[in-house]
Amino acid sequence: MDIVKELCVTLDQMVNDQFESVEFKKFLAVPLTLERGRFYVVQNALYTSNRRDCWGYVQGGAPLEVKRVIWQHESDELVNDPRAGMDHYTLTVKQGEVIGLKPEDFEKAEVPAMVQACFHAWHHIAMRNHWLTAYAASHMLERRNNGKIVKGGGMSYRVGKKFENELGINLKRMISLDVHVVADMDHSENISEMFERYVKTREERDLVLQGARDSMAIDRAYRGALGYYMEQISG
Amino acid sequence: MGTESKSLEAMWTELVRLCNAQFDSAPFERLLNVKFTKQRAQHYSIQMAFYVQNRRDCWGYVQGSAPLDVKQMIWHHEQDELVGHKAQGKLDHITLAIKEGEAFGLSAEAFERTAHLEGGEVCFSAWVRLAQRSWLEAIAASAILEMRNSSELIPRGSLSRRIGAIFERDLGIPIKEQINNAEHVVMDVEHAHMLMQVARKNATTDSARAAILRGARESLLIDRVYRGHLADMLEALN
Repeated sequence: MDIVKELCVTLDQMVNDQFESVEFKKFLAVPLTLERGRFYVVQNALYTSNRRDCWGYVQGGAPLEVKRVIWQHESDELVNDPRAGMDHYTLTVKQGEVIGLKPEDFEKAEVPAMVQACFHAWHHIAMRNHWLTAYAASHMLERRNNGKIVKGGGMSYRVGKKFENELGINLKRMISLDVHVVADMDHSENISEMFERYVKTREERDLVLQGARDSMAIDRAYRGALGYYMEQISG
Repeated sequence: MGTESKSLEAMWTELVRLCNAQFDSAPFERLLNVKFTKQRAQHYSIQMAFYVQNRRDCWGYVQGSAPLDVKQMIWHHEQDELVGHKAQGKLDHITLAIKEGEAFGLSAEAFERTAHLEGGEVCFSAWVRLAQRSWLEAIAASAILEMRNSSELIPRGSLSRRIGAIFERDLGIPIKEQINNAEHVVMDVEHAHMLMQVARKNATTDSARAAILRGARESLLIDRVYRGHLADMLEALN
């Protein structure tokens, strides 16, 4: 098997393994209430903002051709996703209306301590590492959301289903989660193509794997933290 | 006019003064007094393409740390620079720099095989480091280089305009054929206002305005060192 095919198999295994982790299992097992759902949606907007930070840093460190791919990727996320007719942050805020959230709820939201630590950790990888490591770290979060790769569905799909099953809100009405079920398939495939172009040696492969492992570890910590904070919300 | 508004105007006046003062510095004077031969123009043109690439690195980092609305502004800025406007037939600025090289007899391969100027590399690293500082310092550090290139703010002529005029004088290449210089003469007038737009909303305290001035000053310092290295390179060529 060539080096990139082998790498992709490993990355696919890693994103599937996330859902077997104690942190993911715990997070996905927390029963949703309306208040917990509101907390999650607000936190997801902050997570989206952190993604925008990291992709900017990755763009800064990447070669020119990769910068252009990221710029295109950020078109959907930051400016306008034709699937939604708006950028992804606005989409998340709009999704909040379904569960009674107002734009002010997003503006005044605080980042809980354990979440903040995760955001800083993702910033660190994006800004202070070789570009392949930084790129893989951000890419993996979209790969982990890609239902074509993750058996049983990516994170957005699973959380969307929880809203549907536990709160009776159809996934189609959770517009941000619904868009991400599709958008992250496209994004993770477009971004993944760059590995074909830039991973030629074992050293380059290891740089990708390093970013992937570190980012998945932070992702587990992040989901564990969300689960913990959601459990503290009664009713 | 309120106190905050006066402070903002004072900051802007100082930024414009700093940009104009660049041209009175020894490195800028040396660079702008070089007589350009074809070989010198070729090497200058190649090094400027590397400079443009470093700008893309820095703006990426600035985009990373800026608030969401500023990120969106930078994303649009980078469309001109990194991707271009295909519908309007406008090339990205790196392709433009390489295409301009044809006017000096350069091929695209010449840009690939020419080494980065050592002193230039050090300056590029310094600019990247500045781009990774607090976001107001970082955006000021990048935006000030476009202000320094705005003919609206530099009445005696921005850097691109002056270099364009020198190429016309020494090599007989009309500025309209220097497609990269000609584009920047226009674009950087527009881009130069971005910092003030950002400052109006975000530079609401003395410390925020101080951060902008600090970022701008340090970037202009690197800019002087960089231009000095370019002058050294040109003087060493025939």
